[in-house]
Amino acid sequence: MRGLPERTLGGPPKWRRPARRAVPVGETCPVPIPYAVPPTAEVADPPRMVRPAHGRVLAGVCAGLAEHLGLPVAWVRGFVAVLILAGPGVVGYILLWTLTPQEADSAAATAGQRWSLRQAGPAAMWIGIAMVAVVGATSILPRSGRGLGLLTPILILAIIAVIGLASADVAQRDRWLGRRSGWPALARLAGGLIAVVVGTVVTLSGGTSAAEAWDIVLATVVVLLGFTLLLAPWVLRLLHDVGEARTARALADERADIAAHLHDSVLQTLALIQRQAGDATRVATLARVQERELRTYLYGGGSVDQTTLSGALAEVIDEVEVAHGIPIDVVVTGDCPLDEHVQAMVRALREALLNAANHGAAPIAAYVECGPDRIEAFVRDHGPGLNLDAIPEDRLGVRESIQGRMTRVGGNAKVRRLEPGTEWTLTLPRVAAAPTGGN
Amino acid sequence: MKTAPAPTTPVRVVLVDDHKMFRTGVRAELTEVAPGLLDIVGEAADVDTAIKVVRAELPDVVLLDVHLPGGNGRGGVDVLQGCVAVDSRRGVPVRFLALSVSDAAEDVLAVIRAGSRGYVTKSITGTDLAAAIKRVADGDAVFSPRLAGFVLDAFGVAAGEIAEVDEELDRLSQREREVMRLIARGYQYKEVARELFISVKTVETHVSSVLRKLQLSSRHELTAWAMGRKLI
Repeated sequence: MRGLPERTLGGPPKWRRPARRAVPVGETCPVPIPYAVPPTAEVADPPRMVRPAHGRVLAGVCAGLAEHLGLPVAWVRGFVAVLILAGPGVVGYILLWTLTPQEADSAAATAGQRWSLRQAGPAAMWIGIAMVAVVGATSILPRSGRGLGLLTPILILAIIAVIGLASADVAQRDRWLGRRSGWPALARLAGGLIAVVVGTVVTLSGGTSAAEAWDIVLATVVVLLGFTLLLAPWVLRLLHDVGEARTARALADERADIAAHLHDSVLQTLALIQRQAGDATRVATLARVQERELRTYLYGGGSVDQTTLSGALAEVIDEVEVAHGIPIDVVVTGDCPLDEHVQAMVRALREALLNAANHGAAPIAAYVECGPDRIEAFVRDHGPGLNLDAIPEDRLGVRESIQGRMTRVGGNAKVRRLEPGTEWTLTLPRVAAAPTGGN
Repeated sequence: MKTAPAPTTPVRVVLVDDHKMFRTGVRAELTEVAPGLLDIVGEAADVDTAIKVVRAELPDVVLLDVHLPGGNGRGGVDVLQGCVAVDSRRGVPVRFLALSVSDAAEDVLAVIRAGSRGYVTKSITGTDLAAAIKRVADGDAVFSPRLAGFVLDAFGVAAGEIAEVDEELDRLSQREREVMRLIARGYQYKEVARELFISVKTVETHVSSVLRKLQLSSRHELTAWAMGRKLI
């Protein structure tokens, strides 16, 4: 129910003339194209490194690297073997192993979308290689001494750079986190981050004084900051991607839903219409029913509220239209909850509509006005006109089902002949919220 | 104020609808029910073509679909705004009659407030449509029962609000209310006139006055109602 508008009586009417926008003759109104989407630039595939399925010694890292860099496999193997033997080269090898997809994967990898170096581009690749080199170099340097203190942050930064660059690229192009949510990945990332910091601090502060340990913590924090700066754009893009993916899915779902609905309703009706093309009345009824149904689906936004006058009316009108194949133009103003009396009125109105459909002719118009002190309903047809005395067999029915019903709930029903047709007028005084029991 | 066309001059009409089948249907129907009275001088399927055709042909009446492609994406409203202050060959403003399958209240309100002289649904019969076009060409307003119901509801008439003076823009006068109620009940203008013991001309005056209030009133319920409720 609409509330009464608040307005001061007697005050000046609040209105203004809407500004008319004059458009000079010969010039159409400015018309931006609303849905023009700039074409997305196709990003060329960077060369991707894969671990070949065949010709591998351990995990195919060297073979893949050799193929990717265009170097003889033996050279690469020798270089990597030296690094591994030196110690920390193992880390580099494992890293490359984890981050490089298998050759057989690569076709499915686009859909599989793992964290990998494959789309990271040459830059990331070179950083990775530099990192492997650094790991090797540090292992050769004496374990004690300040050199390591300087090298470690560089090393960590290099790792971060590789991971950051690789994932950023993947996120951008493949939306690898278009899964349910990016949070598990973020949690993994945060966990890794903490592990890196703690590990670094513990390793480097072993056997040093508190002051030195403080320096290391500071250095770690700086590294952490660098980490954040590196990852911030990526994380933002990631969140954006997740939102976009969700919207895309919602759209797809909705489209599927609409398609299903159209199939169940419109297509079925069209098939029926084609089969019964000869029967004009039946076709008109089918079209009308389908129209109403589709209209409810498109504009109604859900099911009809059965607890109100308008909801009950919609149902009654549907029923009469389907039963008789006559379109009924219904207009309802105002609304009210459906109590016993209103229910009786709706039933009487249904009888009046049926009467109009049986004896009258189209167009049939129904108007229901729900005012503060009474409800009025009008049913009008364009038939030859109902003569109560002339149709004795209907007389009892009409008297009982329309007039009797209305009288019992304290209202009344009148019928009158118009130049073409008949009009029923049903009136029901509205009882106050507190039941007075009066009629 | 109103310049009635000489009975021999056919009303020049432009059809704007994005469904070719519908345009063909309307054209055939109008030619059949009102031969010689209506002259369909142009057709358009989108906003930009519509504005061009209207400016080139300067018709008396434009039958305007509410939903059209092109323009700013607001369909009929864009056409109305693109044709502001365009006069027909008879020297009166080009009149628009909105025609739609959509009974969504915000659509009704939008085209009426943008300047349409009336609103009918596509289920209207050919005869009624021809009569409506004639009426709009004469500068009168055309209300379907549904539009009348909308007016009654949005102006709070059902809740018992009646203007004390006719000029009040936010409410309907007693007489306007009666006219609207009869139209909502499915009465033709001449039946309304007979019922209220007034002339058809007076009925037309009342309807035009309601149209003016609908276009100019800043009554917030109009929009609120249109947004909050969608006609069945």
